[in-house]
Amino acid sequence: MSEELRIGVYVCHCGTNIAGVVNVKDVVEYAKTLPNVVVAKEYVFMCSAPGQQIIKEDIKNFKLNRVVVAACSPSLHEPTFRTATAEGGLNPYLFEMANIREHCSWVHPDEKEVATTKAKLLVKMAVAKASLLEPLSEIKFKVNNTALIIGGGVSGLAAARDLAARGIKTYLIDRSPTLGGRAARLGKLTYTEMKGIDVFKGLIRDVAGNRLIDVYTNTELVSVDGSVGNFKVKLVKNPRYVDAKCNLCGECAKVCPVEVPDEFEFGMSKRKAIYLPFKDAYPRIYVIDMKSCTRCLECVKVCPVGAINLNEKPSELTINVGGIIVAAGYDPYEPKTGEYGYKLSNKVITLFQLERLLDSEGPTKGELIVNGVKPKNIVFVMCVGSLSTTPDAYPYCSRMCCSSTIKNALVLREKYPDTNIYIAYKDVRTYGRGDEQLYMKAGENFVRFAKFKDAPKINIDQKGNLSVTLFEETLQEEITIPTDLVVLVVGMTPPRDIDKVRTTIKIGCGPEGFLREAHLKLRPVETATDGVYLAGAVTGPKNIIESIASGSAAASRTLALLSKEEVAVEPLIAVVNEDICSGCAICVAMCPYGAISLKIIDKNIRVAKVDSALCKGCGTCAAACPSGAMQQYGFKDAQIKAQVIAAMGEV
Amino acid sequence: MKEFRPRIVVFACNWCTYAALDLAGTSRMKYPTNFLVVKEMCSGRVDPQYVLEAFRRGADGVIVAGCHPGDCHYIEGNYKTLRRMTLLKKLLEEFGIEKERFRLEWISASEADRFVEVANEMYEKIKNLGPLKIEIEGGR
Repeated sequence: MSEELRIGVYVCHCGTNIAGVVNVKDVVEYAKTLPNVVVAKEYVFMCSAPGQQIIKEDIKNFKLNRVVVAACSPSLHEPTFRTATAEGGLNPYLFEMANIREHCSWVHPDEKEVATTKAKLLVKMAVAKASLLEPLSEIKFKVNNTALIIGGGVSGLAAARDLAARGIKTYLIDRSPTLGGRAARLGKLTYTEMKGIDVFKGLIRDVAGNRLIDVYTNTELVSVDGSVGNFKVKLVKNPRYVDAKCNLCGECAKVCPVEVPDEFEFGMSKRKAIYLPFKDAYPRIYVIDMKSCTRCLECVKVCPVGAINLNEKPSELTINVGGIIVAAGYDPYEPKTGEYGYKLSNKVITLFQLERLLDSEGPTKGELIVNGVKPKNIVFVMCVGSLSTTPDAYPYCSRMCCSSTIKNALVLREKYPDTNIYIAYKDVRTYGRGDEQLYMKAGENFVRFAKFKDAPKINIDQKGNLSVTLFEETLQEEITIPTDLVVLVVGMTPPRDIDKVRTTIKIGCGPEGFLREAHLKLRPVETATDGVYLAGAVTGPKNIIESIASGSAAASRTLALLSKEEVAVEPLIAVVNEDICSGCAICVAMCPYGAISLKIIDKNIRVAKVDSALCKGCGTCAAACPSGAMQQYGFKDAQIKAQVIAAMGEV
Repeated sequence: MKEFRPRIVVFACNWCTYAALDLAGTSRMKYPTNFLVVKEMCSGRVDPQYVLEAFRRGADGVIVAGCHPGDCHYIEGNYKTLRRMTLLKKLLEEFGIEKERFRLEWISASEADRFVEVANEMYEKIKNLGPLKIEIEGGR
């Protein structure tokens, strides 16, 4: 750069936060001695309006072309000073900050002299970097204002409803043959007369037939290219083998010779290979489960409308969207065979199976019949798969199960007043609205609670009789409860195969496998990948209320993006010096975002090329480049090395 | 003779370790002076050459720190850091730079106490070792 460097350095007192420890005058005098510094000043609060005014005026008066502020952490006021620099007429990226508060005065309050020396070094480092800064401009892209929602459970439905209400074209996909997710299978919900299916019906009313919402069931994600505002998404639509001509007459299922466990009923009843997933499924069209179908063609023969085509093939489709909401939900924890007697006796069932049994539309029409008899003694075992009850259990609380257990206990108590109901628990966390009252009501209605610390043992004798043994923490003695039915209260786990979606879209995950928010508190429905949002239990256990709320929240964040004409991203991205790039492609493999490719320039010379829309600015390509051809704006080799060199020597 | 105060360069990623150092400040924790932070967006940006440059210019110690494995803001940058720095450690020993002088640490944004622990430990060890016993650029 031929232009003569003219740097202004501004040292902030931050009241006494900095000045109480660091000798600010000394630092200012020192700054004046640094190369290319033409002015150095101190002020009580640089971030205040008068403080910023000093910078703006000095840029004009001293013809500054670099600005350094020594103050707090850049995470606090870098944007403030960048703006002030820009308002003073300089490119905002010609600004550098030295953190002499969080990294100096606040951590060295008793060592004033050495803290002052450290502040000088930090200023020296910032000046050294500032000398090598370049003007940069934000990168802008047009936004495609359509959205994709992955997962048609209650959170995905809520998000679709809200986006469409604001006029946003939305694609809603689900890999199963129907929308509805998990909630549609739940029985009576707490604190309301509604059932899970009613919640689903309430949401589907706004989604079904909405001209702004395209629903694709039996559809999976193949790939995602592009970035915020402009994603190109490839989907594969698996065949349903039955088309929209289906009039739900059900003749096909009557003649189908194949019977398999019905997943909607958690395997407690059978369905045919051609079936309607459940009565209110959406779309209300039969579907063939090709894994079980024998291709006997009986259904094709009887179908009065010719809706069945066994030769249907998977079809790929590509859509362009600006934002993506992942609402992939959860899976119930599946106990291992033998864990709490699971699968060793058919008198051991899960809470989800009980929900189906107690549903008037369930396999027993709402009657609690297990093995052909009505159980007299029922023991619920809570925290199965949660709260580290067993070595395989997850450490977290699944949140919905306490209230759900108590609700079911009360339903049983009302329906079968002469049953004995026990709830073995590790902890009771009835945090939802009205749930604590349910807990109290359960106690008043002779639902008996037994507290354990170590997981209870389920004993099955040779005649198949069941009992539950646990060390009761209140009594401080071991008790054994003979029982006819054990209900395992299973928690929520990340959905199976979520990793496929996660790695395709590039979202982080926590130790248990739930997807990770950009910030737990400040950005709970956003991901670290711009333009990708999260809704529902895919980030961790949630009840229906919370799932729907987070679906709406994700829709709102998506709208904030999609209502813009353009998106701007920080220009701190990778850049190639084509003159020295040898085209070795090491960087191509390094990039976690697939932002780097090789291009041919002139006579088979290959060089790296960075897609600025995809690059997120991590710089790992630059660190790997053997020739130094790959650099990162704002973090170039020369800029970083200048800082390192400036950190040495006497001051 | 002037007291030996080791000077240690900290290459910190923007999202985790830099934030942890900020937290140490806002929580008014204390640690020895002369830990000088060079910020990168990701620990994956730290070219092993920077570490060598720091030692060549007279650093008594270097810390490269980033997010915990699995927590990287850029998905997997820290795994690349791990690979590079593992190799670099071997190289540093070949150069006669004691292993106590270089540390690769995973320090999340909430682990200010972890940074303070690392800083205290490293400062003590290097103080006992004394200044780096190799020739440095520009003399001492």
